[in-house]
Amino acid sequence: MIAFSNTVKRYPNGFEALKGVSFSIERGEIVAVTGHSGAGKSTLLRLAAGIELASQGSVLVNSQNVSQLKEAGLAVMRRNLGLVFQDHKLLFDRNVFDNVALPLSIAGFSHLESGKRVRAALDKVGLLNREKAAPITLSGGEQQRLCIARAIVNRPAILIADEPTGNLDQAYAETIFDLFRSFNQVGVTVLLATHDESGLERLNCRRISLERGNVTA
Amino acid sequence: MRGWLTTHANACGRAVRRLLAQPTVTLLSVFVIGIAITLPLGLYVAFANVNAAAGRVSTEPNINVYLALNASEQETRDLERRLKSLGGVDRVAFISRESALQEMKRVANLAELLGSLEVNPLPHAFAIQPTAVDAATLEALRKEITTLPKVESLTMDFEWAQKLKRFATFAERIVLLLGLLLATAVVFVTGNTIRLQILTQKDEIEVSQLIGATRRFIRRPFLYFGAFQGLLAGLVAVLTVMAFVWWAGVEVRALTASYGGDFSLRAPTLNQSLGVVAFSGLLGWLGAFLSVWMYLRRVSGR
Ligand SMILES: Nc1ncnc2c1ncn2[C@@H]1O[C@H](COP(=O)(O)OP(=O)(O)O)[C@@H](O)[C@H]1O
Ligand SMILES: [Mg+2]
Repeated sequence: MIAFSNTVKRYPNGFEALKGVSFSIERGEIVAVTGHSGAGKSTLLRLAAGIELASQGSVLVNSQNVSQLKEAGLAVMRRNLGLVFQDHKLLFDRNVFDNVALPLSIAGFSHLESGKRVRAALDKVGLLNREKAAPITLSGGEQQRLCIARAIVNRPAILIADEPTGNLDQAYAETIFDLFRSFNQVGVTVLLATHDESGLERLNCRRISLERGNVTA
Repeated sequence: MRGWLTTHANACGRAVRRLLAQPTVTLLSVFVIGIAITLPLGLYVAFANVNAAAGRVSTEPNINVYLALNASEQETRDLERRLKSLGGVDRVAFISRESALQEMKRVANLAELLGSLEVNPLPHAFAIQPTAVDAATLEALRKEITTLPKVESLTMDFEWAQKLKRFATFAERIVLLLGLLLATAVVFVTGNTIRLQILTQKDEIEVSQLIGATRRFIRRPFLYFGAFQGLLAGLVAVLTVMAFVWWAGVEVRALTASYGGDFSLRAPTLNQSLGVVAFSGLLGWLGAFLSVWMYLRRVSGR
């Protein structure tokens, strides 16, 4: 489903964040990318989502070489991914419902049609009663769950989440990890980055350990 | 097809909501752009009217030849013969200085003043009806007549009408140029309003692109916005010019009625009006397109 082979990412300033990384993730797997801050976790996820392009080597997603996709192809690919960003990227000028509806409007759903799907997504993350709320009034954990609802509303086959439990306290973090586990159980391929050891134990999944741009395990 | 319709309807709806969200800003932009379009359109209509007026005035050429005051009767008859023998001359009518004076007393109510003169200051004259009407032939004819003996001066009646026509044509070109200039200004003004909008929606654009929106999708509501704004501005311009023509028409009719004329001003036709509105919409669309295009090019790494 996702395959990196000898993938190098060199940023414009010359810094090599990934120094030849190879691995592959099968359909339906749940995989955690671990490592210290600055190890290259976010870089790896951005390459998988086509937000950054590999400098060398290849990144295959759904057997498509991401580097070779044109703008339209890339957009189609992104629409079939669920992305949870480290910094949430919520829109604070609209309510919870409209934040979750954004991917659907991009996919060409009318406002009417999206209602059901948005509520289903909000229900899964336990925010159904907050649909009219402004995101700014949500707690950190709720904002994170809102972000997840937006990522899954399009029923993606692959979910990519960058430090989804970032700075949440333990109890919150556990519910988030349980959420990813439950998505994985219905067949979604999950790739997430985290350095939360207790969370990793709870997930008990395959790991890709990064250290200064190299895979160590 | 249904998806296509939905995306367009969505984009359209968003554009309208954005227009209505800041009614003052929208009105201001629409009026600024409207004025920029009113200017060339108004001048165009004005000059088209001048042109039409010039067209109604007789442009039949008519050459008046004035003789020297000391021309003898023999010299006058010689000149008449030579004038009649010239190529391109249709008719030659003699106007004696006496009849000219009588005529002048009659039309101009100058009887008293002219009567007080001891000598008749007017020369003999010939009114010539040429067969040719084109400028070059007439000019040649004029040169030839000037060289004839005892010809003091010469006027061509049609000249002012032709000059007016030439001026109107020239003016139309100036208006076209002005229109082009202001059209560019409209594109930039729209581009700028869109740029400000983009700035308030930076986050949304960024997130949308990250989760799979194409540039076309991002652009669409802005394009509708620019086009709608342009269409409204075009409408404002057309209505302004129409109102002006109507107002000026009342004045002109009052003026020409006293001369027994039946002159009325021409407003832009329906087709012209629709054309202007559509063109204005197109300019708005273009301004929006350029603005979004530049923004997306700047922010996207690829
Ligand atoms: N856009 C960038 N330009 C230059 N260096 C970057 C850029 N993004 C990340 N890096 C560097 O790449 C390394 C890996 O970053 P990142 O992938 O964010 O690590 P992690 O997510 O594991 O903390 C870091 O040293 C970081 O400073
Ligand atoms: Mg990171």
